[in-house]
Amino acid sequence: MTTILTRMIARLLFPVTLVVALAMLIKSYVSVGDGFSAGVIAATGVSIQYVAFGYRDVEKRVPWLRFAPSAAFLGLLLALTTVFVPALRGDAVLTHLPRPGNEVTHLGTVELLTAVAFDVGVFLVVVGFTVTALSMIGRVAEEESS
Amino acid sequence: MPEGAVYVAPFVCGVFAVALVSIAGAIFPNRAGYLSSAMAVVTFAVLAWLWQDGGGTFNVAWAATLDLRLHFRLDGLAALYGLLASGIGIAVLIYSTRYLPLHLKHESRPIQDATRFFAFIVLFMTSMIGLVMAQDIILLFLFWDLTAIASYFLIGYDQHKREARSSALMALLVTGISSVLYIIAAAILYADYGTFSLPALFENAQPGSRLTLAAALIAVAGLAKCAQIPLHFWLPRAMVAPTPVSAYLHSAAMVAAGVFLLERFYPLIATSTILLNALLVIGMVSMTIGGILALTAPALKRILAYSTIAQYGYVVFMLGLGGEYGVSAASFYVIAHGLSKSALFLTAGTATEATGQDQLARLGGLLRSMPLLAVGSGLAAAGLSAFPLTIGFFKDELLFKASLERGTFFATFAVFGAALTLAYMWRFWRGLFLGPVRTEAKPVSPVLVWPVVILGILVFAGGLFSGGVAALAAAAGEAALLRPTPVEVAYHLDFRDVNLMALATYSLGVLIIVTRRWWESAARAMADAGRRFGPEYLYETSLAQLNRFSERMLEFEVRDLRRRVSTIFVPAALLMVVGLIVSPFPGEFDIGIVRRADIPLMVFLGLAAVAAFAATRPARHLPLMLALSSVGFSLAAVYAVLGAPNVALVAVLIETLLTVILVGMLTLFPREIREAMINLEIPRGKIQRDSIIGLVAGLFAFVIAWGALSRPSPNQGVSAQHIDLAPEAHAGNVVTAILADFRGLDTAGEITVVAIVMIGIVAFLRPRTAR
Repeated sequence: MTTILTRMIARLLFPVTLVVALAMLIKSYVSVGDGFSAGVIAATGVSIQYVAFGYRDVEKRVPWLRFAPSAAFLGLLLALTTVFVPALRGDAVLTHLPRPGNEVTHLGTVELLTAVAFDVGVFLVVVGFTVTALSMIGRVAEEESS
Repeated sequence: MPEGAVYVAPFVCGVFAVALVSIAGAIFPNRAGYLSSAMAVVTFAVLAWLWQDGGGTFNVAWAATLDLRLHFRLDGLAALYGLLASGIGIAVLIYSTRYLPLHLKHESRPIQDATRFFAFIVLFMTSMIGLVMAQDIILLFLFWDLTAIASYFLIGYDQHKREARSSALMALLVTGISSVLYIIAAAILYADYGTFSLPALFENAQPGSRLTLAAALIAVAGLAKCAQIPLHFWLPRAMVAPTPVSAYLHSAAMVAAGVFLLERFYPLIATSTILLNALLVIGMVSMTIGGILALTAPALKRILAYSTIAQYGYVVFMLGLGGEYGVSAASFYVIAHGLSKSALFLTAGTATEATGQDQLARLGGLLRSMPLLAVGSGLAAAGLSAFPLTIGFFKDELLFKASLERGTFFATFAVFGAALTLAYMWRFWRGLFLGPVRTEAKPVSPVLVWPVVILGILVFAGGLFSGGVAALAAAAGEAALLRPTPVEVAYHLDFRDVNLMALATYSLGVLIIVTRRWWESAARAMADAGRRFGPEYLYETSLAQLNRFSERMLEFEVRDLRRRVSTIFVPAALLMVVGLIVSPFPGEFDIGIVRRADIPLMVFLGLAAVAAFAATRPARHLPLMLALSSVGFSLAAVYAVLGAPNVALVAVLIETLLTVILVGMLTLFPREIREAMINLEIPRGKIQRDSIIGLVAGLFAFVIAWGALSRPSPNQGVSAQHIDLAPEAHAGNVVTAILADFRGLDTAGEITVVAIVMIGIVAFLRPRTAR
């Protein structure tokens, strides 16, 4: 069992990691960071929860984590869509829009690009995979110890 | 539609049939047999109609940059083997509609399993049609391997039996390993002539040792598939398959594919007399040994299996004879043999079904209870034994003609082989239908009898109206030889050489039959010796040794974590030593100057080194882990100093995540185990050995890194290009642009792999109740 201090810090860190991950994700095309890093940050946040509280508690407190496998596949679908949809229009695969030279719509500092959608897909796969793997191992371990 | 698309219609029919049978069969397993029979009829009809029209070519680029084309041609060879595969397929499939449900009932399997059987038979037929029509070496290889895969599943159809599985594996290995030889030959030919196209290759081929080597490799692949000695042993073992499978694969399809390959590449093989002579010898050995084994084998299907080896020995012998008659005679022979042999296999299946016995010694006197079957299989056996008024008479006539052309020795041998055939065919038929009744026969469905009768009638009809078959064989011979060859078959009531040879065959055959008492023990001893010391024994021992070796390697590698690491690092270090010895040395290992700006870098590298050394000290697990992760963090700092913020970020993040996960893992261990692990006494020798391994591996990793860093990276240009292109891709961050745009396909592939790994983890670890 972990100490109360560990648990308190873990609890405080959770929203922070998620926000940092999200920020890094949407700004990935403009500054340091990418979908993969953002995914690893979010996954670290979740794994800290598992370490501090154990599998069963986390599953109770953060029920939406059970959507992790679906998130991974959704991400894969999103990424593969951005890869292959251009082929349907007759372009080379992975042709991103807007094309080079064209105007990019900005939302604050965020650029609206299909490449960013691809990056979001990567993010979802990374988070989904890590969380799924951790929760599976955590469950097996707790079942065996109990 | 591209020109000539109609000529791939038979193949497309087959592909459609595979899909239809698998899908419809999943819903109506009882109907899969009828459906596949109907589709075989359609395929046969389309093929026959197109061939009536004269055949033609279909040729479109497939992967143009790799020089691969979808190049099909319906020529004589393709028509002969395609019609044989689909025609015999019809008979076998109709037979199976009744046989397979009974078989499944005996094995207490659900009727749903029938679909798989029919789908694979149709798949085999389809790949056979693709194989015979392919005019591109690589395309041909694809279908060649597809037949091997289909045959694997068909031979191993009774997968709950260990013997079926090992026999299927044996067939796959023997024919599959030899198909590797084929692909090597393809590489040699492509290197020499720059084309995969068969017509272009035949036109340009220059006789020479490299061409002979390539042709020899292809010939070995073909010989393995048509079960010629010494690669014959898989065929008798494959008799564990349900009888229709044997009837199909080992009369008209799989073994025929082997001979087909020899004929298709005959222009290359024929450039070398050594190769032709080798074919002659192999054919003669297979004829003799196959014949003798067929005279001694106790089980019905084994007799037929050895007979197939012997009969294809004839075909290989004729191909080796070469000359005007050899190739077309071989083609004629394949048809005659296919018709007769499939009927005989089906006879064996029906007899076993009716009596429950598969050993010749327990069968007999079935003539009274199954007269129709006796007549049908009698015709087939007469055909194989080359009696007049059957198609078989002409197959032997052509054999005699071709062998006479080469000389008396070969002619004598041909007579001897034909006499052996007569003798074992008599043994088979007499043993089944004459003599005392040993096991009573239950009545069987007419579907199990009529295909045999119809095939028997075809054998008979072929003896009366042989013009069509002869024309087909002549066309096949022309396609193989690339020049017209005549096939003339007719009865002559006079004492010409060929007729005298036939008479000699019959008398010698009768002599072999009546003198059985004198040679039987010797033949049995030979069969026994072959089993004990022959190629099958070699195969078994080498497989067992390989298995033992790989198990030992595995056991060595996975016993503990240190072993696992050292099995990677020590061979890598050895390879490095070899690399250092064979490659030029000077100038490879530069020592640059250390500038003031490099000092922070040196500090972090030094930190990483200190942390690495600290991690080698025995300690509690938590400090050990922290020491390890501080190696990673120091390296991340190195990236940051080098001005690669994104890489540094990833390194830090991964290191963090790993540390957290490791800590989590540690909490899962009970405290006692952790304490016990710390106090574990490690023998001194082990520590020394591990240190040496670590030092050696580290030293060579250091050397390779030094060597790599001494030279400017050749990829510098690409990186510069990426940086230049980033603004155009609307990216402020080059790394992200590389990941999501420039090298996005790599990323897409990687995340797909990650998702698949996740499926694996879920499958292994999901709760047992959900399994």
